[in-house]
Amino acid sequence: MSILEARREQTRARNPDDEGYVERDGVRVFWERYGDGPTTLLLFPTSPISQSRLWKAQIPFLARHYRVLTFDPRGNGRSDRPTDAAAYGSWEFVEDGRAVLEAGGAERAILVGLCDGGGWALMLASRHPETALGVVAIAPYVPYLTAGHPNYTLYPFDEPLDTDEGWAKWNIHYWRRDFRGFLEFFFSQQLPEPHSTKQIEDCVEWGLGTDPETLALADEEAPLPWSSKEEARAVCERVSCPVLVLHGELDQCQPRERATAVAAFTGGTLVTLEGAGHLPQARHPVKVNLLIRDFVRSLERRTSWSS
Amino acid sequence: MRVMEAQREQTRARYPDSEGYVERDGVRVFWERYGEGEQTILLLPTWSVLHSRIWKMQIPYLARHYRVVLFDGRGNGRSDRPAQPEAYAESEYAADALAVMDATQTSRAVIVGFSLGAHRGLLLTANHPERVEGAVFIGPHYPGGGQPVPERAVHSWEEELDTEEGWAKHNHHYWLRDYEGYLEFFMSRLFSEPHSTKPIEDGIGWGLETTPETLALTYLAPLMEPEEARELAGRVRCPVLVIHGENDGHSSVTRGIALAEDTGGRLALLEGSFHAPHIRDPVKVNLLIRDFVESVA
Repeated sequence: MSILEARREQTRARNPDDEGYVERDGVRVFWERYGDGPTTLLLFPTSPISQSRLWKAQIPFLARHYRVLTFDPRGNGRSDRPTDAAAYGSWEFVEDGRAVLEAGGAERAILVGLCDGGGWALMLASRHPETALGVVAIAPYVPYLTAGHPNYTLYPFDEPLDTDEGWAKWNIHYWRRDFRGFLEFFFSQQLPEPHSTKQIEDCVEWGLGTDPETLALADEEAPLPWSSKEEARAVCERVSCPVLVLHGELDQCQPRERATAVAAFTGGTLVTLEGAGHLPQARHPVKVNLLIRDFVRSLERRTSWSS
Repeated sequence: MRVMEAQREQTRARYPDSEGYVERDGVRVFWERYGEGEQTILLLPTWSVLHSRIWKMQIPYLARHYRVVLFDGRGNGRSDRPAQPEAYAESEYAADALAVMDATQTSRAVIVGFSLGAHRGLLLTANHPERVEGAVFIGPHYPGGGQPVPERAVHSWEEELDTEEGWAKHNHHYWLRDYEGYLEFFMSRLFSEPHSTKPIEDGIGWGLETTPETLALTYLAPLMEPEEARELAGRVRCPVLVIHGENDGHSSVTRGIALAEDTGGRLALLEGSFHAPHIRDPVKVNLLIRDFVESVA
């Protein structure tokens, strides 16, 4: 009984007003809509190491003012878990987002994403500019744009190691031995702020919604969308809408140079969050929510002038 | 430099609109007032291991609607630390409360007491009914009824013990040996809900503003006896609300149930809460206090 209790989903500050699935190439992706209004925000998920609840501290606030769409990434939550790496290519998540936008009844939206999801939001704005009123990219991951965070290349991912210490846990053999142990380590790194036990516990729970093989497909084996810095830069430069980039100065996942480069190549604004780690939306929700709201307001003003 | 930073008081959600000292028999007690309004809420001090910041989650909310007055109990915060145990008698804390009410031109107030604050609160409510409109007791330590928490009744406070495990840390000799270790234990039992690292850290910080020697004096002061507590409770005529966490490991929930019975008050039991729900479930407790204040208006 107590195990059942613990696994039951937590109560929510706000429940969705609508929900459903979109299906692309046989892969079903679960989406939710909260609130209504002329302005839509599409909150991208990130890698299947998490799911749409990562926006739990944004949804109730933003949905008071806007129509908010979220979806679970393929590989976690209530979305399917395809078993081939190609199904986890970046463009697949981008197109899932576009399909959710359509299913949620919106032609265009402010695209919001964190880490991988920040990159996907930028990619959607770049490939389909007509869908994007603006982009908020939190600690965005844009492959090849800059060097990655050194944490991920300290140890080989595929080879058995003789240590489990620190970032040696970013290793498929360790994941198979102790997936929870990996998640606890990983999210402790990503939530370095004091008093983050609740956020770490939540993230570990959502991480347990996937499994090591699925996560390896998505995070290590899926084909990258391009293979050079020039291509990465070109994608950013094709983004024509306003862009807001947020980056926590203690981020252990995405380097500051990457956030700086995204802001520079998209002509966007960079806001550095002092004392914040990789997940400021979880640990500094009021700050992040107000930054998003102010950004949306600035776009609404712009729209009303031009119409 | 880092030490200085850490020692500086945290920023507050709201700052007092006025502050000052009252002095009785050479002992100065520091008070603050927040907000304006028809009704005044007097937040009483608890055991001097803590000071008035224990109300940090109530002040900004309540001060939007009411006048809020509070003070540091003698022995901590910005109040004096007299060197005689008699200066820490319950009657002294109650007299300080009246002096603070006088200094802030507060003729009547709803009083709110936490834990040991029940002793002061009962003295005020029973002996000065003209000054108290209503009384809220949170996790009250009420000696008049209910049972002690079993593990707290095992060890002596005065005598040297051969263990430091658990509540054996609640011991005069251990305090003098490792006061910070005691505070870490004590605060973790005060805030036992999951994800309480911040209130625990706050509580240790407030505890470090006094000394084990001062706290020992509060233990050597005369205690409120069960018969006295029952006698006081029986004379309470104003509306009473008792809020008690069902999992309270400091002051058994049976104490709160007894206090509500003995005062004819209402009882709000909070599921999943421990000793200090006003810190760990502030929204719930703030709304209970507000509804109570509205009901006595």
